[in-house]
Amino acid sequence: MTTRPTVSGSGLTVRYGGSPALDNVSVRLQEGVTGLLGPNGAGKTTLLRVLATAVPPDRGAFTVLGHDPGTGAGRQEVRRRLGYLPQNPGFHPDFTAFAFVDYVAILKEFADRSARHREVRRVLDAVNLSEVRGKRIKRLSGGMRQRVALAAALLGDPGLLLLDEPTVGLDPEQRMQFREVIAEAGRHRTVLLSTHQTEDVAMLCQRVIVMAQGHVRFEGTPAELTARAAGRVWSSTERDPQARAGWRTGLGTFRNVGDPPQGADLLEPTLEDGYLLALDAQSVEAMSA
Amino acid sequence: MRDTGHDGTGWHADTDDLRAYARGELEAPRLWSVDTHLLACAPCRLALAEATDSRALDLGWERLDAELDAPRPGVFEALLMRCGVADHTARLLAATPVLRASWLGAVLLVLLMTVISVYTVHSPSLFLALAPLLPLAGVALSYGPALDPTYEMALVAPLHGFRLLMIRTVAVLVASLGLNGLASLALPGYGLRALAWLLPALALTATGLALTARLGQVTAPALVSGAWIALLAAAAATGHKTLPPFTGVGQGVAALVAVIAAVLLHRLRDRFDTASAPSLPTDLAHRSVA
Ligand SMILES: Nc1ncnc2c1ncn2[C@@H]1O[C@H](COP(=O)(O)OP(=O)(O)O)[C@@H](O)[C@H]1O
Ligand SMILES: [Mg+2]
Repeated sequence: MTTRPTVSGSGLTVRYGGSPALDNVSVRLQEGVTGLLGPNGAGKTTLLRVLATAVPPDRGAFTVLGHDPGTGAGRQEVRRRLGYLPQNPGFHPDFTAFAFVDYVAILKEFADRSARHREVRRVLDAVNLSEVRGKRIKRLSGGMRQRVALAAALLGDPGLLLLDEPTVGLDPEQRMQFREVIAEAGRHRTVLLSTHQTEDVAMLCQRVIVMAQGHVRFEGTPAELTARAAGRVWSSTERDPQARAGWRTGLGTFRNVGDPPQGADLLEPTLEDGYLLALDAQSVEAMSA
Repeated sequence: MRDTGHDGTGWHADTDDLRAYARGELEAPRLWSVDTHLLACAPCRLALAEATDSRALDLGWERLDAELDAPRPGVFEALLMRCGVADHTARLLAATPVLRASWLGAVLLVLLMTVISVYTVHSPSLFLALAPLLPLAGVALSYGPALDPTYEMALVAPLHGFRLLMIRTVAVLVASLGLNGLASLALPGYGLRALAWLLPALALTATGLALTARLGQVTAPALVSGAWIALLAAAAATGHKTLPPFTGVGQGVAALVAVIAAVLLHRLRDRFDTASAPSLPTDLAHRSVA
C-alpha cells in the first residue's frame, strides 16, 4: 500500500488481572471498511477501546492519523478525529434523538449553537432519522437507537470510525439498512467494524482481521480468507470425527472443515470456512458448544 | 391579495412584520406568532418571498427550521437556562445521572428526618454528622461507568473528562449544599453552629474525588464515609459537648483538608480522562446468549 495508514500500532497488550485480553497485537488500518471478526471473548471490544483512547494499553503504542494518544495533547487530537460506537451504547432515554446527538456534539466541543444544530441535523439525515428526531429515545426501536448512536459517532466527520458490533440485535431488514449506512460512511474514511457475523464482512468489508483469545489470527482481504479454505472443506454423510469443525447443512449432509481424508468430496470454500480455519481448535469448540 | 386563502388560521401576517421577520429583526413574542403562522399559511409564505430577496428568505427558513427541531428542553434544563446557565452547560447537566427529582427527593427526606431528630433530642450532632455525607454521595453518583449510561462515549469525546466531572460536581454541590442550607434555616436556635457541616462537606467531597482517581468510584467514597463516621464515633466516646470537627479548630482542619484534597485532585486530573480496563462493563448478557 502506498498511502499512509490511518491507524498503526504494535505490541498492544491489555490485561484484566490474569491472562491478557489483548496479547501483543499489531494493527494497520487504511481507508475503507475493515471487519474485525472473532468469537465472544476474542478481545475485539478491548482492541476497540484501546484504539478509541478509552483504555490506555498496558504495553505497546499506536498512532491515529499521525497523532500519539499516549500524550495528553495527542489524545485530544485523536479524539477530535474519532467516531466511536461502543458495544451496547447507553442513552439518556428521556432525551429526544436530536437532544441526545446534540449532547454528544457538545461533548465534541461544537461551541457555536447554530453550527452545532446544523451538524446534528446533517448526521441524523445521514442515518435516515430526520423524521423521528423529535421523538424520545425510549420510544425508538432498537434499530433506530443504534442509528442514533451511529449518528453521534459521525459528528464532525471523523477520519476514523470505530463500530463495536453495531448489527447485533437488529432484525435482518434493519441490518441491511444499517449496512448501507456504514458502507456509505466508509467511502472516504477508515472504518473498523467488529462483528461475529461473517455476513457483515462479506457484504461490507474490503479487509478483515480475525482475532481469537487476544491474538490476531489473520489479516487480509475477505477473498484471501476464503482462499485459505481451498481444498479444506468437504462433505460427508456422517459427521467426520477428523474434521476441525462440522455442521449439518440444509441438504442433510455434513459440511466439514480441516484436513480432509483421502478421496473426500471437496466443496467450494466460503468466507465462513476460512474464518473457522483461521481460529484455533479451542475457539471453534467454544463456538459450536 | 392579502385577504385571500386564510388556510384556516383566520389572520395574515402584517407586511411590515414580514419584512422585519426576513431581516431577522422581529422580536418575540410577535416573532413566535409569525413563525407558527408561516408554517400553516402558504399565502403569507408567498408574501414573505415577495417582501424580501431570496437569500434573506433562505436564512429565515433555516432559522425557522432550526427552531422547529431544536429540542424543546426538559423542565430541569429550561429551569437552568432561566437561571442564566448557558444552553450547552444545561444540556451537560441534564445528562448528569444524579440530578433527578428522585435523588433530590431522597435527600430532602433524609434532611427532614434529621431535622426532626434535632428537635427531639435537643442536639444538632446527628444533622451535622449526616449533612456532609450527602454531597459526597451525590458527587459519587454523578458520573462513572456504573451510573452514566453514556460514560464511554463521553470519555472518548474531546471535552476533557475532568472538566465534565467538575461541571457536574459544581452542579451537584450547589443542589446538595443548597438543600443542607435550607435544613440549617429550620434550626435557627443553633445560630452559626447549624452551618458547621459546610467545611466538612467540602473536605469529604474533595477527598472522595481525589481518592477516586486512585481507588475507584466505589471504594473511595465508601472509605471516606467510613472514616468520617469512625472519627465522629471516636470523638463522641470522649464525651465532649461539641464534637471536635464542629469546634473552631475542627473547622480549620476541615478547611485545610479540603484545600489539600483539591490540590491533589487537580494534580490527578488526567486520570479522569481515560478509564482502567476492568472498570468498563463486559458484555455478559450477550456472552451467555452465544
Ligand atoms: N471488565 C472486564 N473485567 C474482566 N475481564 C474482562 C473485562 N472485559 C473483558 N474481559 C475479558 O477479556 C477478554 C476479551 O473480552 P472482549 O474484549 O470483550 O472480547 P469480545 O469483544 O471479542 O467479545 C474476555 O476473556 C473477557 O472475559
Ligand atoms: Mg465485544
